[in-house]
Amino acid sequence: MKKRTTEEWLQQLQAKGAEQEPALADLRAHLLHAALYALNRYRSETRGRSFDDISALAEDCAQNALVAVLAHLNDFRHDSEFTTWAYKFAVNTALVVQRRQQWKDVSLDRLVAEADLENVLLDAAPQHDPDRLATYRELWLTIRSVIEHDLTERQRFVMIAIVFQSVPLDVISERLGVDRNAIYKLLHDARRKLKQSLVQRGFAPSEIMADFSRD
Amino acid sequence: MRRVKLEPIVQRILDTSEDEITCSECFDAISPYVELEMQGTKVSDEMARVRHHLGQCRVCREEYETLRDLVRSERETKTKAVNRANRRH
Repeated sequence: MKKRTTEEWLQQLQAKGAEQEPALADLRAHLLHAALYALNRYRSETRGRSFDDISALAEDCAQNALVAVLAHLNDFRHDSEFTTWAYKFAVNTALVVQRRQQWKDVSLDRLVAEADLENVLLDAAPQHDPDRLATYRELWLTIRSVIEHDLTERQRFVMIAIVFQSVPLDVISERLGVDRNAIYKLLHDARRKLKQSLVQRGFAPSEIMADFSRD
Repeated sequence: MRRVKLEPIVQRILDTSEDEITCSECFDAISPYVELEMQGTKVSDEMARVRHHLGQCRVCREEYETLRDLVRSERETKTKAVNRANRRH
């Protein structure tokens, strides 16, 4: 692969025909390398997918990333190496696909319904310190009460799915047919309500975190 | 009975800011963020907001960590190749 400066990349990718082709081919090779890196990094989560399957998936991701890079060339702000900027499209594409495949057979409605926040064992709670244990329990009851009574239905769903059932945000985005940013906003609004409630009920943030760090 | 680790949940709640950047804004800033982090450069206010988002958003954090490690690995490979070539001369 030819080494190029950022300016060479931009100039050649924005050219036409014979001048553009080598740059396109090299860019695609870079993006394929990035997609393979991303998919192999999380290979244990792809449930025994074969080498050939991962290679084929990486090829698709690299092609989609190439289209995205070319569509956004004018958005490049020269604030990083061109290849670093281009790689992010391949990494994003590969990991979005990988997460969707990992969760494709999982019912989010069932997961959220099964969360059962009423029957909870607080892990690492200080069992031998009654005062601190009482604080942990009160913290948890406050959090649970806000989740159950003060959040909207969508905020509750997103909160439980992401925070308690570890569902990736972009999987929820795809299932609900809603932009990823909208899901993040739902969760952000839920966290804000929770934080407000904790503070209003007299929990001082610095004291809470100091208490946790005593363990 | 479900086991719940309270500390990371409370940490995320208490770390909530009134104004947080979106996943798209994080994606837009992630390539300079990776390079600044690798250089050990002190981050600006804008980049501090990227760091905050990465603390709150697992999917963005996974993508950031993958990008960072990919770029780092590539640069280390290039550095080793240059050093080998220099030793030969």
